[in-house]
Amino acid sequence: MTNLNRRDFLKALGITSGASALSACGLDDNRYRTPVESILPYVVKPDQVTPGTPTFFATSALQGPHAAPVLARHRDGRVINVGANKRAPTAPAVQAFNLYELQKHFSPDRVTGPMKAGAPVSWEDGLNELSAAVSAKGAKKVAYLGGYKGPALEQLVGEFADIAVFWEPTGYDALVDAAEALFGVRAMPHYGLHKAGYVLSFGAPFLSGWGDSSIAARYAEARDPNVGHSVVRFGLVAPHRDQTGGNADDWMACAPGSELVVARAIAAWVANKKGASAEIKALIGNVSLDEAASASGLSKEAIESAAANFAAHDSIALPGGVSGSTDLAAATYLLNLAGGASAEMFHFGGFSGRVDGYAKLEALKAALDAGEIAVLLVDDANPVYALPGGADFGASISKAGLVVSVDSAPSETAALASLVLPTSDVFEDWGVEQPVAGMYLTRQPAQSALHDTRSLGDILLAVGKAAGVAAAAPAPAAEGEEAVEGEEAVAAPVAAGFSAANWQEYVKSWVRANLFSGGDFSAFWEKTVIDGFVSAAAAASVPGLVAGAYAFAATEAQGSGEYFLHLHNHSQRLDGRYANQPWAQELPDPMTGEVWGSWLEVSKATADALGVGYNDAVIVTTPAGEFEVGVHVLPSVPDNVVALALGNGHTAAGRYANEYGVNGAAMATLAKDSKGNATYGPIKVSVKSAGKKADLVTAFSTFGMSDEGRSFGVAVNAGQLAEHGDAASDHPGEMTGIHHLQLDARLREKGISDFYGLPDHPNYRFGLTVDTNACTGCGACSVACYAENNLPIVGKVKVAEGREMGWIRINRYWETDQGGQDDIRFVPMMCQHCGHAGCENVCPVLATYHSIDGLNAMVYNRCAGTRYCSNACPYTVRRFNYHSYAWPEPFNLQLNPDVVVRTMGVMEKCTFCVQRIRQVKSAYKDGGNFTATVPSEVWEQVPACAEACPSQALTFGNLVEEGSKVVAATKSGRRYQPLEELNAFSAVTYLAKANFHIEPPSHGGGHGAGHGEDHGDAHHDEAGHGSDDHGEAAHDDNHKGGEDHPEAGGH
Amino acid sequence: MFLNHKPNRPATYGEANRDIIRVLLSPSMGYFALLALVTTLMIYGGYSWYMQLRYGLGVAGITHPNMWGVYIVTFVFWVGIGHAGTLISAILYLVRSKWRTGVYRASEAMTVFAVMTALLFPVLHLGRAWQMYWFFPYPNQRYLWVNFKSPLMWDVFAISTYFTVSAVFFFIGLVPDIAIVRDHSKGAIRKVYSLLSLGWAGTGRQWHHYMAAYGFFAALAAPLVLSVHSVVSWDFAVAITAGWHSTIFPPYFVAGAIFSGCAMVITLLLPLTIAFKWEKYVNIWHFEQLAKMCLLTSGILTYAYATEYFVGWYSQNPYEWQIFAWRATGEYAWAFWTMVICNCVAPLPWYIPSLRRNPWVLFIVSIFINIGMWFERFNIVVSSLSHNFDPSTWWYYWPSEVEWGIMIGSFGWFGFWFLLFLQALPAVAIAEIKELIAPPVKGALEAK
Repeated sequence: MTNLNRRDFLKALGITSGASALSACGLDDNRYRTPVESILPYVVKPDQVTPGTPTFFATSALQGPHAAPVLARHRDGRVINVGANKRAPTAPAVQAFNLYELQKHFSPDRVTGPMKAGAPVSWEDGLNELSAAVSAKGAKKVAYLGGYKGPALEQLVGEFADIAVFWEPTGYDALVDAAEALFGVRAMPHYGLHKAGYVLSFGAPFLSGWGDSSIAARYAEARDPNVGHSVVRFGLVAPHRDQTGGNADDWMACAPGSELVVARAIAAWVANKKGASAEIKALIGNVSLDEAASASGLSKEAIESAAANFAAHDSIALPGGVSGSTDLAAATYLLNLAGGASAEMFHFGGFSGRVDGYAKLEALKAALDAGEIAVLLVDDANPVYALPGGADFGASISKAGLVVSVDSAPSETAALASLVLPTSDVFEDWGVEQPVAGMYLTRQPAQSALHDTRSLGDILLAVGKAAGVAAAAPAPAAEGEEAVEGEEAVAAPVAAGFSAANWQEYVKSWVRANLFSGGDFSAFWEKTVIDGFVSAAAAASVPGLVAGAYAFAATEAQGSGEYFLHLHNHSQRLDGRYANQPWAQELPDPMTGEVWGSWLEVSKATADALGVGYNDAVIVTTPAGEFEVGVHVLPSVPDNVVALALGNGHTAAGRYANEYGVNGAAMATLAKDSKGNATYGPIKVSVKSAGKKADLVTAFSTFGMSDEGRSFGVAVNAGQLAEHGDAASDHPGEMTGIHHLQLDARLREKGISDFYGLPDHPNYRFGLTVDTNACTGCGACSVACYAENNLPIVGKVKVAEGREMGWIRINRYWETDQGGQDDIRFVPMMCQHCGHAGCENVCPVLATYHSIDGLNAMVYNRCAGTRYCSNACPYTVRRFNYHSYAWPEPFNLQLNPDVVVRTMGVMEKCTFCVQRIRQVKSAYKDGGNFTATVPSEVWEQVPACAEACPSQALTFGNLVEEGSKVVAATKSGRRYQPLEELNAFSAVTYLAKANFHIEPPSHGGGHGAGHGEDHGDAHHDEAGHGSDDHGEAAHDDNHKGGEDHPEAGGH
Repeated sequence: MFLNHKPNRPATYGEANRDIIRVLLSPSMGYFALLALVTTLMIYGGYSWYMQLRYGLGVAGITHPNMWGVYIVTFVFWVGIGHAGTLISAILYLVRSKWRTGVYRASEAMTVFAVMTALLFPVLHLGRAWQMYWFFPYPNQRYLWVNFKSPLMWDVFAISTYFTVSAVFFFIGLVPDIAIVRDHSKGAIRKVYSLLSLGWAGTGRQWHHYMAAYGFFAALAAPLVLSVHSVVSWDFAVAITAGWHSTIFPPYFVAGAIFSGCAMVITLLLPLTIAFKWEKYVNIWHFEQLAKMCLLTSGILTYAYATEYFVGWYSQNPYEWQIFAWRATGEYAWAFWTMVICNCVAPLPWYIPSLRRNPWVLFIVSIFINIGMWFERFNIVVSSLSHNFDPSTWWYYWPSEVEWGIMIGSFGWFGFWFLLFLQALPAVAIAEIKELIAPPVKGALEAK
């Protein structure tokens, strides 16, 4: 080695370090199939892949029991986000649930490969065991229990299993059974809310995942004063206001279980008023308003006024939620007929997939108990958890010969399976869905399987073949693509049997058989997969009644005690299916702000009677047992009702679900309504104080519920709003009656609107419009923001410390109107991107500054963490990284590569999704437009929140471009900006909410935001209470007289 | 009582030397016990900060909207404490106030160490303390610059300037005394003192230059006394937060700083004087003057508190008024009333001459004032943020163990330096004391 010269040394160094670097790349440790990174550019670029740009796959994601057309945003080998498939006719947006599916996809608790008795096995062994059990079933049966995942899978399962149950735990069976009893169709209704002038709900959480993917958009359309110049009025007859109920204009707090009699009484009243047919009247029966009033505890006037509203408008009645009965659903159907709902508003072309009621599940349970089931496949159904207490489905399951879980997500039911064959999820699999009649969604894999999973279809096909299962239908000719290419094949044979090469082929042949109407199938298939949907408009018609009579019967209350326990779906976790998704745990419940667990909503009077306050534990004794839970005092329940959300208290559903809260379902006894469907109500319970604190964590302030008259949540008179809509007003904001202190008139005469002048925005000033009238508080914007911007989940303990990281919070302001009605105003609050931002001046290191595009930009790398900016922000929208947060693998794969992951000690906040703004600008330039600004219509849904909002309450745009929607909003008569008098010149314009109980502002003093102070003697010339005077909305302030300046009347 | 002791004859130059230097030569067990205590507190504070550096600011109780808490409260508290020293040494020097002589050295030391303590907080409250050098406008290739519009940037300059000038002024005053210590010491330590005494020989020429320099620095330091706490108050007054956004803040903060500083001088020097038997040099008359300063500034503070309420009400600004009403009646009312009782009520007994000459009353009231002034900053920082503009974000802040630990540690840090100072340097200005003693003319004593 003495001869080692410098060159040789360097060579050796290079080789060894290169070799060690290569071996460190860890090719064998590629467990989650992370992309192998290469610093070399592609010589030949693969199709569909441009480094740094996303690829979109049109597919369908589940949304509770429904499916929604979505675009999966794919980057570097994985799905990173879910956006709306705007081409599809049904859904303009994604909902939070679609994003929960994404988080489910990346859940660290997924089963990553086949397991037998807790130990990994090979797929071959697993499938062999299942095949052997199926072929050896003899006289016994093969059963399948799962959630509904589209007609193609339904067909395959039907061929494979002797008993197939597509079970939905909460409430849908009642809808379908009622439709069958009255109209002879097994289908769910479609509610054309967009045509409604009045909506009367009996508790259905139709804005919280109950309806199809676009029901919130239809409601928002009805609520939109610019469409048809009307604002839908929402009456709620229910013992509890959940998130959907929080949107109600009139809440009639009835006794639990009395919804039926109220519905019938209203139906009878309306039928009389509108002269409905004798057939309908006979079906409704004769129920007087007095009868309803005494049963429900409501005043007769309230019920009559609801009925009168119903008769006076094009109205729709919606049934009950999870505590509703079949009879209540039937009564609402009859009410719709009595009110003369048009076919567009009410027909049975809603979700037409198969949802089996409790009766089917009971039959399966009986078969299990009788030992008739050789093999039970469980897929995405969790009766062990979700059935009311006492059903003891777990004991029945254990009587099956072989229980196989074909679900990759853990659940209480899957935990009882001896064999787990994990299946690919909606982002890895093929499929067809039918969300509403006349429309099919295709599903395609948006990424390769994350784990060692297989599609359920492939499993069934393989086992069916191997076990020689006799298909129910004759086997079709094998359908390779080459066989049909270019052929006219109108009457293609139905795909059936187990001959298809794989599940993809099966889906394809199903599409060919059922959706293809001739022509070039290969082109049709390609277009279908690219579009993600096939639409065939089904003619809607009011169904004909087939029933001659309907026997209504109230569901008997179970148990005893002085209170009713009202169970309802959790706004995010629903019946518990999304409990293991941290986003669904950490997103505050819109009404209470509660996160990570259960709470019991009680009224103030109840709390006083029990001697408890917020976060005191109480013991609730139900017929099925007792549980302890913390109290959240809220005027969302009447005094004799306590409300508990379902979906919590899991025991084997994964790390984020287990042990948080109590399982309300298990605390109800198994009750059946008069048609044999399981129901969660009404339940009588006794409640007593446990004498200790609970562990509730609310993300809302516990100091108060109102905005204290600070014009955060503002309402305007609904009639006035409907009349004027958002047409440009000479006095923007005049409907709100809010008047702000402003500069001296002498300065304004000189054109000085501000001492310092706004920053220069030559091409863009990005702004957002938030229509609080359309916002339903669902939180989809917030979840989309979590997904897009790599926001960390901090967990229950840290939320309790106030460290939640959401960039958008939905403020809930609980205001009481003159009429004594509670008005709940949901106000999404994000960075306002102020022109004069308090935060920008105070940062000592210029980590936050105003960009030329009007963005309040944040340089994470430069932030040293003085947190002064947060103190100086009047909207408190900045979030601080108190720790470095971890993404347990494989959650890290969901991280958006366009957004940096912030570390400890750095401030962050809403950026208006600046990465998307950049993409749009770049794409526009790539299109050859180097000088022009991107037109406003391109911007409208660019930020993740605006894209996600199911009711399209958020509109993004360029405030510099006259004619853009955001500029139009600044001229609306109902525009307002919270804290406008601080002269921060925010870029976010809020549009006030319609309210049916307040008066329009008659003089200078308005009432919309509680700004009822005396304006009569204020002089405009001396910093008086003038109306606002901002750059984009300046108006002449010389008063010409009260007649054309409504707000000047008091002078 | 102790301090009313009238010596049967004035001290001589030699006695002054001996009495004051005696302390340096013979540290007692009590001294070491105190040193052990403050070192322990300091280590606890250091450990707390380590936890914060390691796990992030999440270990502190701050959260939005309360992004500032005990750290900034304690920071402002220490900056305030750091006021009295320079006020006493510089401003009172310029106005030739005689009572300054006995107390100024200890107050100046207190000032320097209090500012050193205060300087810890802007660093250790940072989310990323290791990036603290970004606060200095140094030239760099990345074109990164600081924001001179930010009050925090003004703080950087105000406090560093104040610290530099106070420390230099402190040192200049020390030079003749260090020379005396040098003359009384032996061995290696004598070399250190020799170095620090800058070759002081007490010649007329040296005295001539010295007095000119001292006067110059006094004139330089005097306006800084007023500016530094005004600038600190702008941290709050410039931000839009209701309860902060007020033009009264600079004079109000300066008055508060002098108030708390003088009280702290009483708290520190009174026990020292008794323990070290310095009645000949520092007696009850000095403390009485300090108490009078406190009475004056307490009156200004009370007026400022009242003005805040008046303006909050008179402006009809709902945010302002809500904050002030809530401070007095809401969840932090206990802190507010602690402040009022300690700052406005507790000093009142001092209006009675016999009470302000009673060492016990002096000491106990000064402790009350120290507590009250900490709570004043607590009220300003915490309650305004707690109930800020958006009611949906209102929050109740409560400090965490780490925050308490760091706050306690800051007292340990301050005590540590102060105790070292007591042992290393003369805590009473010997040279200036001698100016008040009749010159040692032969037969002079007998003549009196």
